[in-house]
Amino acid sequence: MKVVTANRLIDGEVVFWRAGQWVERFAEADVFAAEDAERGDEAVQAGKDQPTLVVDPYLIDIADGPSGPAPVSYRERIRALGPTNEPDHGKQAEGGAAIAALQAATGAARSTGRVDLIRRK
Amino acid sequence: MYRYDAIDRDFLADRAAEFRGQVARRLAGELTEDQFKPLRLMNGLYLQLHAYMLRVAVPYGALSPSQMRAFAHIARTWDKGYGHFTTRQNIQFNWVRLGDAPDILDHLARHDLHAIQTSGNCIRNVTSDPYAGATADEADDPRVWSEVIRQWSTLHPEFSFLPRKFKIAITGSEADRTAAKVHDIGLVVRRAEDGELGFEVMVGGGQGRTPYIARTIRQHLPASRLLSYLDAILRVYNRHGRRDNIYKARIKILVASLGAEEFARQVDEEWARSGPEADLPDTELARIRGAFAPIAFEALPARSEALESAAASDRGLARFLRNNVKAHKRPGYAIVEIALKAPGATPGDASAEQMDRVADLAERYGLGDIRATHEQNLVLPHVKLTDLAAVYQGLSEVGLGYPNINLISDIIACPGLDYCALANARAIPVAQAIAERFADLDRAENVGELKVKISGCINACGHHHVGHIGVLGVDKKGEEYYQLSLGGSGAQDASLAQILGPALPADAVADAVDRLVETYLALRQDGERFLDTYRRAGMNPFKEAVYADAH
Repeated sequence: MKVVTANRLIDGEVVFWRAGQWVERFAEADVFAAEDAERGDEAVQAGKDQPTLVVDPYLIDIADGPSGPAPVSYRERIRALGPTNEPDHGKQAEGGAAIAALQAATGAARSTGRVDLIRRK
Repeated sequence: MYRYDAIDRDFLADRAAEFRGQVARRLAGELTEDQFKPLRLMNGLYLQLHAYMLRVAVPYGALSPSQMRAFAHIARTWDKGYGHFTTRQNIQFNWVRLGDAPDILDHLARHDLHAIQTSGNCIRNVTSDPYAGATADEADDPRVWSEVIRQWSTLHPEFSFLPRKFKIAITGSEADRTAAKVHDIGLVVRRAEDGELGFEVMVGGGQGRTPYIARTIRQHLPASRLLSYLDAILRVYNRHGRRDNIYKARIKILVASLGAEEFARQVDEEWARSGPEADLPDTELARIRGAFAPIAFEALPARSEALESAAASDRGLARFLRNNVKAHKRPGYAIVEIALKAPGATPGDASAEQMDRVADLAERYGLGDIRATHEQNLVLPHVKLTDLAAVYQGLSEVGLGYPNINLISDIIACPGLDYCALANARAIPVAQAIAERFADLDRAENVGELKVKISGCINACGHHHVGHIGVLGVDKKGEEYYQLSLGGSGAQDASLAQILGPALPADAVADAVDRLVETYLALRQDGERFLDTYRRAGMNPFKEAVYADAH
């Protein structure tokens, strides 16, 4: 499963693709199953065609965690939550079940998160 | 303190206006991200994990109270109420909006501040001694020479597109508080036997994935020839530095591959082509030196009975005096270090309230002078002994009175994976866990000077290669792991730390550091620091202590 993410141009906020829009909450992102890989690629391309809205859209791997889907990589979970040293900063400040689900997810760090990281380097 | 003139101020205003136009063009789609990125980086604006990050230059770490208040204002108005002092004496704001960046640059410019050359392959902000002008053991005030280099290197057309970034450190004191030997160029100001002022010039130091201690290529460069000699070094580097491979592009790789002697020979050859006309005219040096004219210190007694009496009844103050207060060159004065390392704090972070308080105290008790250190602390370089209790009180009221300078909890840590787009692992929580483990200050003082330095990736912004205990975050099969190393030093006795053994999971790091400390305490001889004991006893006892369970 995959999700498309980017940083919003105007403020750098982490955003996710949802039905042609960019949303701030990971829980609201469109999830592309393996069989929908083409749609995920199309969403990335659509993001690249919106250079005044977002910077550098890319796909990330997600997996079912103990409380729902979460990014596989630690790096992407930090992007979806905020810095762990300041629990009141970033998206995690909102709290709630969706945030708790991300915080409950474990495993994997940066290298496995960004699907095309190696190629992009 | 050096003051900008009308030309400097006009230039900064123009530069901020130029960036405002560039941002507007980017937002309107007239510039692509690929076109815009180098422009924003030239103004210190990075895109990190959660937001844009603005890195602001603090030239050689020296700040006025009004400049510190400008940072507080930025933190309050355009960030989340805090800033982060870095290992290059700069400050970073972690939550900047692109749309606000032009207003922030305008605000900085009004206070003679900017973010130019805090990124990119140019000569970066010069690092210098935070005790400059206050310590007895300096041959000359390194701020004078830092300012000379700042003016020479700022927007230098020949050196704006080097093979890679370039960092210079200057110390006027034999006690190196600048990590000069792990800079691209490290300069030590000294007087020769005949009294002539000059520099020992060291080149090719650095950290990152290939760490090197700088090599001395000239024992005594006459001070008057500094700029032409720097020109020659930069020209040899610019010509032969590896532009084909980013990992081999720093000058350290060139110096290592040529050998220091051959590199020095090429520099001398280049230097011979330029005459003294390439050097700073004496009149310019005098003008710059005038900005750092000696302070008219008061004639004061070397002791303050009032202070000693206050310390006798206040353990906190007594401990603050022992650990955070350093000897000043003049009787009756002291250098005060302000630790940005209280329990639970993020190393190097200061809130707007704390910044304002430091500015107030500097104004009231510190002759209006503030310094940032590469160890992510602040310094009030000139405080009367009779004012120390009031300064301690004022700092303590905002959580800045923590007395742990140079102790094990005075940890350098980079922002790591909590903020940085390059990081592989977090650094801040590891620093906090170690600091918490040694929160008992009696124990920490018994351990004595112990420098722990933590980086979240191989780029080594957290100086792990020169930590007495270095910690490097790595991504091991998808998990955060931490590789410990021992025996590094960034001071005058510089050395590179050696890897202790296999990397450890995050929750095992504080335990491992605890075992290293206990091993040191069991082995230490009179007067030895951790580093000294390690150098005498070697790696094995420490390795056995940490990995005993693994056998």
